[in-house]
Amino acid sequence: MEVCSIIRDILLHTEQKYGNEDAIRYKTGKREIASKTYHQLRSDSESFSCALAALGEQGGHTAIIGATSYEWLTAYFGIVNSGGVAVPLDANLPAQDLCELIDRADVTTLVLDQVREDVGAIVRQYCPKLKYIIAMQKEKSDDTQLSFWQLIHEHEGPCDFRAKPDQLCTIMFTSGTTGKSKGVMLTQRNLAENATCLDMKLPERIVLLSVLPIHHAYCLTMDILKGMSVAAVICINDSLMRVAKNIKLFKPELMLMVPLMIEVMAKKLEDVSGLPAALVKNMVFGKQFTTICSGGAYLNPDYIDLFNKYGITILQGYGMTECSPVISNNVSWNIRRDSVGQLIPNCEAKVVDEELWVRGSSVMLGYYKMPEETAEALEDGWLKTGDLGYVDEDGFVYLTGRKKNLIITKNGENVSPEELENKLAASRLVKEVLVRDHQGVIEAEIFPDEDYMKKKKIRDVQAALQELIDAYNLQAPAHKRIYSLKIRETEFEKTTSRKIKRF
Amino acid sequence: MFEKLVSIICNYVEVEPDSITRSSRFMEDLGFTSFDFMSMLGEIEDEFDIEIEESEAAGIRTVGEAVDYLEKLTAEA
Repeated sequence: MEVCSIIRDILLHTEQKYGNEDAIRYKTGKREIASKTYHQLRSDSESFSCALAALGEQGGHTAIIGATSYEWLTAYFGIVNSGGVAVPLDANLPAQDLCELIDRADVTTLVLDQVREDVGAIVRQYCPKLKYIIAMQKEKSDDTQLSFWQLIHEHEGPCDFRAKPDQLCTIMFTSGTTGKSKGVMLTQRNLAENATCLDMKLPERIVLLSVLPIHHAYCLTMDILKGMSVAAVICINDSLMRVAKNIKLFKPELMLMVPLMIEVMAKKLEDVSGLPAALVKNMVFGKQFTTICSGGAYLNPDYIDLFNKYGITILQGYGMTECSPVISNNVSWNIRRDSVGQLIPNCEAKVVDEELWVRGSSVMLGYYKMPEETAEALEDGWLKTGDLGYVDEDGFVYLTGRKKNLIITKNGENVSPEELENKLAASRLVKEVLVRDHQGVIEAEIFPDEDYMKKKKIRDVQAALQELIDAYNLQAPAHKRIYSLKIRETEFEKTTSRKIKRF
Repeated sequence: MFEKLVSIICNYVEVEPDSITRSSRFMEDLGFTSFDFMSMLGEIEDEFDIEIEESEAAGIRTVGEAVDYLEKLTAEA
């Protein structure tokens, strides 16, 4: 596969060779599978481009909310291949938060999965710039929402627009250290070269099962764009509840996973005792399965050894949304278990005060409408990763810690402690609070306001604070929930500027 | 239902079956991770031949809530 600098070329190259072969497979019932070919994906996505043009929205900002689906992918390629900017959003966020992001990203069209109809109900009220809502499953367009498939059928036709490599094509939101999420601006070249510059020697037509959320750069670039660059059959996992069942149904050879999933799958392998390792692997993953790509967060290398015992290769990589996202990756013929892999060919690195800085064609343009944050993150084209580490003489990257105050969960989600602290500190019960990662879960350590407790005659401090945490968890997305509470009797130690000392 | 669920729970986390009560919280008290929890729901779907709605399951926090939800689903099945 040659290096592509625009996303359209990835799809076109594969479509030319494998047009009538399956590109996407997905479930239509408990055990029923439907599929779409590379030709269908190209054709439907070009029709979607034509529909956007007919609405006067070609080149505009279009948000997509939903889990991975054929419609999601069709919309994405239709937007970016006709010069537009796709804004993939986390379908699990509360409706109000989604509206805020839609507004901040200057979105004028929203493509919406019906599972988030609650967003459709309020979005016009909070997002005055929004002109159109395109509903993925709606049969017929009406005054409030357009039907995705009706639009495609009505505007069927080719679109031969060629985007420029350095034009913005995707805005992805990521947690910021200040608590306000930041829109990472990625160009066609950023994403396309990230997906195609490293030849991992994956066989053409490899079957992969996509289990990660599509609004994450790791899934979009590695499952979808890289998958397409090797003409993969991309199978869509319909729910995290059904990963084990879907492995049996789709029979993948490769999966991208985050450490949390790898740990659970390791338990499944270890639970079967008394059988030869090869048989155990066949029972859990199937005979055809060979490879896991791990990313999103650091994986303890012991898992690499464990899976190796069962004949499964784990290729650990490293990256961040700001770098489209892959910075380094292990490859099957050159694995170093303690390293997060060699820098990929379009990326160079240097170490400044122990922090890794990277530069190359996958580094973002900046944060959308956040010049100060952009200036903090980028210096002369170098991206400050916030990770401490070093690169050895062979280009292998080793991570030693974090500089930025950001929790990276085993899910690969970034969580800003300050955001959570601010929410808890809004309660009068809380005098001081520190949020951090504690053995893989988010922990809040609280110094309660004793005067307020006395005034309100609250005797059971533990119960009162737990109630506060429970109320917070109820409205928070799953990856931001707090599952450990620690109460302290003394104030936190402070820095000279009166900030709580974190470490 | 409660006993069946407890035996499934014990396949996912290392807790004494006797220590599990209706008010035990999956994440905070039993040490489930989000992916453990989702995997367990998948196993329950097979065990009871039911289909669980992910959006409804997301609201389940305690063993008691899970039992009530599953009893409702199996009654409808």
